[in-house]
Amino acid sequence: MTAPIIEIDKLTKSYGGRRGIVDVSLQIREGEVFGFLGPNGAGKTTTIRILMALLRADRGAARVAGLDSWQKSVDIKRLIGYVPGEPSLDPNLTGGQLLEYFAHLRGGVDQSYLKQLIERLELDPGRKFRHYSTGNKRKVVLIQAFMHRPRVLILDEPTSGLDPLNQQEFDGMVREARDDGRTVFLSSHVLSEVEKTCTRVGIIRDGRLVRVGGVAELKDIKRYEITIHFAQPVPIETFAQLEGVAGVEELANGSAVRLAMQGSADAVIKAAARYPVVSLTSYEPSLEDVFLRFYESDGKAPQEVAGVV
Amino acid sequence: MWFSSVYLKTLRDFRIPILGWGLGLGFLMTAVFAAVPALLATPAARASIVALGPSFAWFADPIKIDTPGGYATWKYGLTVLVVALWPILAQSAMLRGEEERGTMDVLLSLPRGRFRVVIEKVAAMWSALVLMAVLVGLLAFAGARKSNVDISLVATIAYGLNLALISAVFGAIALLLAQFTSERRAAAGWTAGLLLVFVVLDMVHRVVPNTLWVSRLSPVYYFNLSKPLVPGYGFDAGAMVLLLGLSIVLSGIAVWLFVRRDIGGVFLTRRERPAVRPALPAGDWSLRSVYLRGLAMVAMPTVWWTLGIAGFAAWMVIVVKQTEAQLKSLLQGSALGGDILKAGGGDVATNTTILSLLFVFLPLMLMAFAVTQANRWAADEEDGRLEIVLSTPQSRLGVLLGRFAALTTATVTISVLTLATTSVASSITGIALDGGNLVAATLSMIPLGLLVAAIGYLLSGWLSAAVDTGLISFVLLIWFFISFLGPGLSWPDASLRLSAFYYYGAPLLHGVQPADLAVIVVAAAVALALGSYRFVRKDIAV
Repeated sequence: MTAPIIEIDKLTKSYGGRRGIVDVSLQIREGEVFGFLGPNGAGKTTTIRILMALLRADRGAARVAGLDSWQKSVDIKRLIGYVPGEPSLDPNLTGGQLLEYFAHLRGGVDQSYLKQLIERLELDPGRKFRHYSTGNKRKVVLIQAFMHRPRVLILDEPTSGLDPLNQQEFDGMVREARDDGRTVFLSSHVLSEVEKTCTRVGIIRDGRLVRVGGVAELKDIKRYEITIHFAQPVPIETFAQLEGVAGVEELANGSAVRLAMQGSADAVIKAAARYPVVSLTSYEPSLEDVFLRFYESDGKAPQEVAGVV
Repeated sequence: MWFSSVYLKTLRDFRIPILGWGLGLGFLMTAVFAAVPALLATPAARASIVALGPSFAWFADPIKIDTPGGYATWKYGLTVLVVALWPILAQSAMLRGEEERGTMDVLLSLPRGRFRVVIEKVAAMWSALVLMAVLVGLLAFAGARKSNVDISLVATIAYGLNLALISAVFGAIALLLAQFTSERRAAAGWTAGLLLVFVVLDMVHRVVPNTLWVSRLSPVYYFNLSKPLVPGYGFDAGAMVLLLGLSIVLSGIAVWLFVRRDIGGVFLTRRERPAVRPALPAGDWSLRSVYLRGLAMVAMPTVWWTLGIAGFAAWMVIVVKQTEAQLKSLLQGSALGGDILKAGGGDVATNTTILSLLFVFLPLMLMAFAVTQANRWAADEEDGRLEIVLSTPQSRLGVLLGRFAALTTATVTISVLTLATTSVASSITGIALDGGNLVAATLSMIPLGLLVAAIGYLLSGWLSAAVDTGLISFVLLIWFFISFLGPGLSWPDASLRLSAFYYYGAPLLHGVQPADLAVIVVAAAVALALGSYRFVRKDIAV
């Protein structure tokens, strides 16, 4: 097993009286693509910004390649490519000028690789940053993070604002980084994004790391909903005991049902087919919905998912 | 209640400026009324003041300056126009600032029309100005009463309202220009430049004969037509209505443009041309380091401020030349003349003396430039623009010092060019100035500028950009008025030493005072060191 390249040990940070993160501990091995999941305000960005020495932890330690993230921040930043959650750059510079500036601050980069990235993400580097769309602004920030082939990529919600084609391109860039043995630490609140790109995930909620595990285990907490409208009322108990059904809710005086699903929908489809179906819709809940459902307000996980991930 | 409408929310946002400017100006009026009885105690003193007045006509009309109201109006003259800076900043940010932050999109997504939103905001600004005017008026009246100065409440309120009207005009100009610029900062800069131009245009007719028509082009001229504090002079209703009309028309055009243009766009936008330069590598000199990038960022403001400061210095030399002979005869033997000139550190009766007084404005302007650049540093950190820079292998200290070095370079450039311009102007006009002292007067502004910048950098370690800027602007004004009023009020030396201008002294007369200069240099170095210490330890953009 390779040594951890990122080590977070009982990291705690508060903003005055407001909670940031509490006792977060985590280890990420070199070459790993690690997804950091959590609802908005959970503490993902706080953790990342402490790693980047933009925030100073109240307690605990964060190390990259064995170096303390605060004490040795300049040395660490030679190893890192970083995408902030809310990138803000000089609006009067062109994308090309911004990339050249950051390249100089990094002591120079491989220009042919930089051009390759620009072409790959189809960025027009001649336009001023202020005139870019949200997606194009994100491309500039992504390119500056990848352009020096960093050993560690720390990406805070990197695909926010990218269109599906560019998201695919980004997925490819992350896979290539992984294949090169580089480490990627990315935060997201989009479950499917993490599923596609990551090998391991950590889930943070209310500032505390609640789960760390393999991405394959995510399917156990991943639920979806099916809503079926019938031409007439149907007995709700028909669906309650079916395989894959975790919960049933009666709607429209019994002529519709909303089913919380976990696993295959085969049994539900077959049962519904016995009645005249008007419409059937499936909905994948957001991570926030998953959290709301699986984690009650006191922060304790119900028995059904405890220890799953 | 304060969040029930755009109007009330905007008015709430203005509560600190209303109180700050209202109380600040009100207390300044109180201070001058407190000083007047001593200054006008004897017939001889009054005669000296009256004799001195025409020599300073370029600054303000000397009307009944042997009365408290006349003296206060003349003493504050054009400097009181500093109050227009707040509406300039506020109205350039009112729409454009919200568009830059993206909050305008949210505001306009509510079921309210654009017209209503902007009208409510403009109405809030005018309400704020009226409240500020009333505060100034009430405090001035209270100050007058306390000092047994006979001035009516109507007169002091009218004085405040006249200030509010000229402020509203410049605010409306800023609002209008913001429809043509993509950044609030550009609109504010252009309007501040126009304020300076209009001040100079207003001065012209008091210095150069037969140029009244030029001054009539300036709104400041119409502001000066009303002198409610001067006994028997009152206010010019026509001029006040004209200022009100001007602000309504300019605001109306701005509103008309705003409701028709793209949010985030500019009126009469230039179509972006395809990049003519190779996209990569750009090969731009300014992209090679934090220092050079900082230099590029400060370059354009430096050009404009140099034009303003160096141009003002040259203009002052010309003005002094025009009144030189008159000054000599008037100031000879006038004890009070010397007293008046204390702010400039002068003795009497030389062109250098009067120039020395005027030169106090140069470091003030350079320090104002430093305030704007300290604001830029604070705003860059607050807006997260340093985040990616700090994710590169640059130390925090290196980034801060790189930007400060760029600002230092700009400050030195402005001072050196002011020296060059003043030297050329003095040789053209034939004004004899001591070369060494002129060098001292222009170059010793540098530490003052750097002191203000360093304090701004230091305070940005804790305060938001807006509060940081407001606070150092306030400190700057307090310093200026300590040096402007303190000698006249016979304040003790210990009080005068609280102002940085004290340490600037009168280098045009006395050359560099190494001990005083050292105080400023050490203070600036300490502020920079503390600011650096704070920056390398603080949470970024929190």
